[in-house]
Amino acid sequence: MPTPVSLARQCLTDEAARALDDAVAVARRRSHTQTTSLHLVSALLALPSSILRDACARARNSPCSSRLQFRALELCVGVSLDRLPSSKTLDEPPISNSLMAAIKRSQANQRRHPDNFHLQQIHCNQQPASVLKVEPKHFILSILDDPIVSRVFGDAGFRSCDIKLAIIHPPVMQASKFSRTRCPPIFLCNLTGLDPGRPGLSFPFSGPQDGEENCRRIGEALVKRNGKGKNLLLLGACAGDALNRFIECVNTDGGGILPSEIAGLSVISIENEIIEFVSGGNDREKMGFKFEELRQKLEQCSGPGMVLSVGELRALVDENVSSDALSYLVSKLTGLLEGFRDKLWLMGAAAIYETYSKILGQFPAIERDWDLHLLPITSSKSPIDCFGSKSSLMGSFVPFGGFFSTPSDLKYPLRNVNQSITRCHLCTAKYEQEVAALLKMGSTVSVADQYSENLPSWLQMAQLDKGKGLDAAKTKNDGTTLNTRILGLQKKWNDICQRLHHAQPFSKFDIPQDRSQASIAEGFQYVADRKESSSSSCSRDSSLNENPCANLSLGVLVDLQNVFPKKHSIPITVASEAENVNYQSKLLKEASKSQQKEKDSPWFTHFTLPHMSLPADHTSSSSVTSVTTDLGLGILYASSSQETNTPKLCDRGEHFQQFSGFNTFEFGVGESTSRQILQSSCSNPSSGGHFDSRDYKSIRKALIEKVGWQEDAICSISQAITRCKAGYGRRRGSTARGDIWLSFIGPDKVGKKRIASTLAEIIFGSQENLVSVDLSFHGGVRPSNSVFECQEFNDYDVKFRGKTIVDYIAMELSKKPHSVVFLENVEKADCLAQTSLSQAVRTGKFPDSHGREISINNMIFVTTSTIAMGNIKFQPQKEPIKLSEENILRAKSWQMRMLTEPVAECASLSSEMNVKISRKVTSSASFENKRKLDGITKSAEEEFSYEAKKRAHKVLGSSLDLNLPVEETEDNTNSGSCDSDSISENSTWLENFIEQVDEKVLFKSFDFDALCEKIGRKISVQVQRAFGSEILLEIDDEVMMQITAASWLCTRSRAMEDWIESVLGRGCSEARQKYHSNAQYVVKLVSCKGLLVDERAPGICLPSRINL
Amino acid sequence: MGTTLLEALNVRVVGSGEKFLVLAHGFGTDQSTWQRILPFFTQNYSVILYDLVCAGSVNPDYFDFRRYTTLDAYVDDLLNILDALRVDRCAYVGHSVSAMIGLLASIRRPELFSKLILIGASPRFLNDKDYHGGFERPDIENVFAAMEANYEAWVNGFAPLAVGADVPAAVREFSRTLFNMRPDITLFVSRTVFNSDLRGILGLVKVPCCIIQTAKDVSVPASVAEYLKTHLGGRSTVEILRTEGHLPHLSAPALLAQVIRRALSR
Repeated sequence: MPTPVSLARQCLTDEAARALDDAVAVARRRSHTQTTSLHLVSALLALPSSILRDACARARNSPCSSRLQFRALELCVGVSLDRLPSSKTLDEPPISNSLMAAIKRSQANQRRHPDNFHLQQIHCNQQPASVLKVEPKHFILSILDDPIVSRVFGDAGFRSCDIKLAIIHPPVMQASKFSRTRCPPIFLCNLTGLDPGRPGLSFPFSGPQDGEENCRRIGEALVKRNGKGKNLLLLGACAGDALNRFIECVNTDGGGILPSEIAGLSVISIENEIIEFVSGGNDREKMGFKFEELRQKLEQCSGPGMVLSVGELRALVDENVSSDALSYLVSKLTGLLEGFRDKLWLMGAAAIYETYSKILGQFPAIERDWDLHLLPITSSKSPIDCFGSKSSLMGSFVPFGGFFSTPSDLKYPLRNVNQSITRCHLCTAKYEQEVAALLKMGSTVSVADQYSENLPSWLQMAQLDKGKGLDAAKTKNDGTTLNTRILGLQKKWNDICQRLHHAQPFSKFDIPQDRSQASIAEGFQYVADRKESSSSSCSRDSSLNENPCANLSLGVLVDLQNVFPKKHSIPITVASEAENVNYQSKLLKEASKSQQKEKDSPWFTHFTLPHMSLPADHTSSSSVTSVTTDLGLGILYASSSQETNTPKLCDRGEHFQQFSGFNTFEFGVGESTSRQILQSSCSNPSSGGHFDSRDYKSIRKALIEKVGWQEDAICSISQAITRCKAGYGRRRGSTARGDIWLSFIGPDKVGKKRIASTLAEIIFGSQENLVSVDLSFHGGVRPSNSVFECQEFNDYDVKFRGKTIVDYIAMELSKKPHSVVFLENVEKADCLAQTSLSQAVRTGKFPDSHGREISINNMIFVTTSTIAMGNIKFQPQKEPIKLSEENILRAKSWQMRMLTEPVAECASLSSEMNVKISRKVTSSASFENKRKLDGITKSAEEEFSYEAKKRAHKVLGSSLDLNLPVEETEDNTNSGSCDSDSISENSTWLENFIEQVDEKVLFKSFDFDALCEKIGRKISVQVQRAFGSEILLEIDDEVMMQITAASWLCTRSRAMEDWIESVLGRGCSEARQKYHSNAQYVVKLVSCKGLLVDERAPGICLPSRINL
Repeated sequence: MGTTLLEALNVRVVGSGEKFLVLAHGFGTDQSTWQRILPFFTQNYSVILYDLVCAGSVNPDYFDFRRYTTLDAYVDDLLNILDALRVDRCAYVGHSVSAMIGLLASIRRPELFSKLILIGASPRFLNDKDYHGGFERPDIENVFAAMEANYEAWVNGFAPLAVGADVPAAVREFSRTLFNMRPDITLFVSRTVFNSDLRGILGLVKVPCCIIQTAKDVSVPASVAEYLKTHLGGRSTVEILRTEGHLPHLSAPALLAQVIRRALSR
């Protein structure tokens, strides 16, 4: 929306307002719809003695005459103005948004830095226009920030940063060169106290004119090392090239690249002589002569000295180099160095460090004698070399997206500033010839001096034509058509040149100033982004906040880009750019807000209405508030769904919703009280129906039904829960805490888990209300394909991706506000989880990694740990256990197979049962299987290949040897030893943590041996039924473990019996039919390693059929 | 002007430990990339965070196209930062290009670094005789051409590829920081990186290194980790992360943090 001129005038001092009036007049004369920065520039240039004109005169750095360059500038402005759309003449073309933005920018700038100036003005332009009057100086500075303006200046060969500097610095400081190196934000120099005049460090473009970084570094190293270690060994894959380049540079360039201290240094390479000497001739006379010659040269040398290059050292360590020749060479060089310590620099190169160390191995003395300093050379060529056409990048770059009316235009005029640079001389010459021919055809102008580097070609054309006395309009037309052709030629020759002469000579590297303008515009956006993220209270999670903005800004910018070419009017470009900033930040707020909401409340859809009606201002409330708001709703939702038949509650809920819809702010505050009401009503005995303080017995009964073997533990759990629910738990201040913390200590993973899920069922109504997280998950390798895995969620891994465990828990907590939270292996929690847990147990709020807190009122936290802590001791085992929990946990879920073999001699039917558990079986039988199955399981195995490698031997080692004591789990090498220092840390933390929980519950280990025996007996019965009593069934111990594990895991009491009867029984009878023979044989039940169970029997994690 | 290096490169020191830990981000990201790793170390370390001068979060005017033509300029920055903070010894975690910078810095000032942890490091990205860096020169030129032609499209295509694992949040984050970079700087820096060749000087690194490599990384083949291990001058170990992608600190932060912790404690 353009601003009326009168409004804009109010912001300016009289002098500046006069300039604006002139600009308006220019716009009116050209019948333009708006007054833009360009008009202002045009008006300012028209004045014979304006600040801008003066600054331009001082900032000028091109070789051609100032009159010519000013003429070029005027033409550039004129042409740019011609491109603006015109309409019927307005009396006062209003001020375009971009110009208005510039005014506001300058206002802000003036307010902040009345005297000071910063090159980059990244100020918020949203401040209301106030009474502050902008002075012309600041006004012009802001206008120069405008990309279009700086673009125009760039076309005319000016750099707008030079102009700016010229404006800031009064004309007294005539030495523009001096001001240029000193005044911009100098980068390293301030801090380190390095010599500001040191080449390459001062800020813009005042370093050496070619990009020979390596040469520069070598030169610097020569100076720096003047006293000690001055002899250089260049080290790196490109060291040889760099050395050659350096020699070339110094010898051709006359040492222009060298620091002034050693200017005039000469370089002599004896690389070829050395190679010849060591590889072929071993001609000491010739070599001696050469050294003599060097000695003489050094004696005569008057300058700072001489660099002696020995070249690539690789030649010296070649196998066929005689050590004799080498030692001769080394001694000669050493002698030379000693003779001319202050005049001679030795320089060599080695591609790899090994070469040098090899020589050092042969001649340990040279390290001291030669006093070598190693200089790493890491870059093969300067990136500038490959960077000729870099300005074409801007074609994709947003602020210029709409500047040119057609796509082809878009590219070429941008290029042509640098275009001449990228061609080699040959091609340039040819190109010039063709241009000349073309021009002769088009007009009869001579093009002898047509090629002047600093002016873009179309401008040159315009000038030439003008010389012919053509009128302005004609100039433009001719210029345009010719321009197109010339550009075509240019492109053609560039292509040819790039194809033919790959190595383009680097002549000039010019960064068009408009790019830095672009960056300023960009900087604007960044600042907006960052402000946004820091103002919101969850600034740590900038991804959350900034992601949408990145995407959004892309979207917005792209749209704008699409819009521009159609309208192809400059004011719009600028205007919308300025708008962009505002607009974007607005969008940003909303986007990040909504994203937050979504993230925090995945069940958000249920409450679409109240949320959607939130006024946008709501964003100003902190995100913490929004979290609690969402949580409040969540609780409401959860409780109402739980107790749908409580009409009173539902009413309240509805009422609540309306309330929230209308009065968000109060809602945020009042929510906590309302929530308390809700909570009290939902933990009311009458509402749940499940739970009552007298329900100790029912809890106990329900638990024992599921986990019969942990009676003692269940007793204490039930007591603890009853006690806490009755209000005798830990207290926070005077109010009782709603959250209950239990810590299950000891073995029996399955028992603990089942108790937790049973608790979820009896207290919160469903097993769904269980949040189960294994805190050791990130620490180490999880067993794959195990029987236990089929109980876990398959997307377990997916859920964690890119999240910390704490955030995952927090997310689940906010999803399920009434639940049992089951955290396994709490002793392995990482430090983040530790902090969160400690805080949660202390305060009743669980903080996520961004510091947002989630109320855990009414939750039951169950943490498990297998480690015996301090004073907590396990009951001593009555007898040494045979099957350890670790082994059972590691049981794999493979397909089973039954096969028969003739009776081996040792096999006898002495045992009572005709079932024998053996561990030898696998080795013979399953290997062929494995090979066969390789193809099938390859993908599966590859996925776990890392683990597989590590485990390869472990799987074999974990056999069941009933005589040996149970081994420590090998896993410890992986996860246990995770960080030795943190283990002690962890244990102290764990002790503290466990001290704070409501109840420590000790678990007994599960009696696997009994289970195993029971299963064996059942199978035995089945086998007898199928084969008769004289047949022996050998069961592989892995299969046995698998069955035991599955049986331990399955929840249905008769599932195991059913499986043995149906699946194993069927397998037995099939096997008998298939292998029926008279000879005595044993039947073996083995696992098919690598073949996963494809179909499970109902209710148990075992295969539904047995292969034969 | 008072614009010092520490301000320019947004240097921050977080945490309360006595020992210093430098977290240096890689190409296409900025220091925010460590935010998920950071909490694991603030208790025991004073963590130094900074932005490379090419990062999108640094004022692009500071990027001097003359100065930053080789990695040595970046090394200067790093060493100057450490000196300005009066750090006399630190552990260094560097990702991608910062791993290279760390190696070079440790050659210059070995006494400054107690340990280098290199994530997704490569001494040379281009293939060579007897060396598999993962990229061929023509491929790279194509990439650069694509970058020039349409930066946004390139970012959108490159980000998921680099992140590797299917973690939309990480892709978004990486795209954000990558797009924050000015296209010409991006191109310039990637040329610098691809022109760099550290193979010859690995032997000069005497500081113990821990090379952390993901199981599948589009930018760094697995063989590179082994190459580094065999050629580095100091004691070095290789850790393979069981995840994918070039940016494990975005895609698997907890896993990476564990490994870094373990590596630091050794």
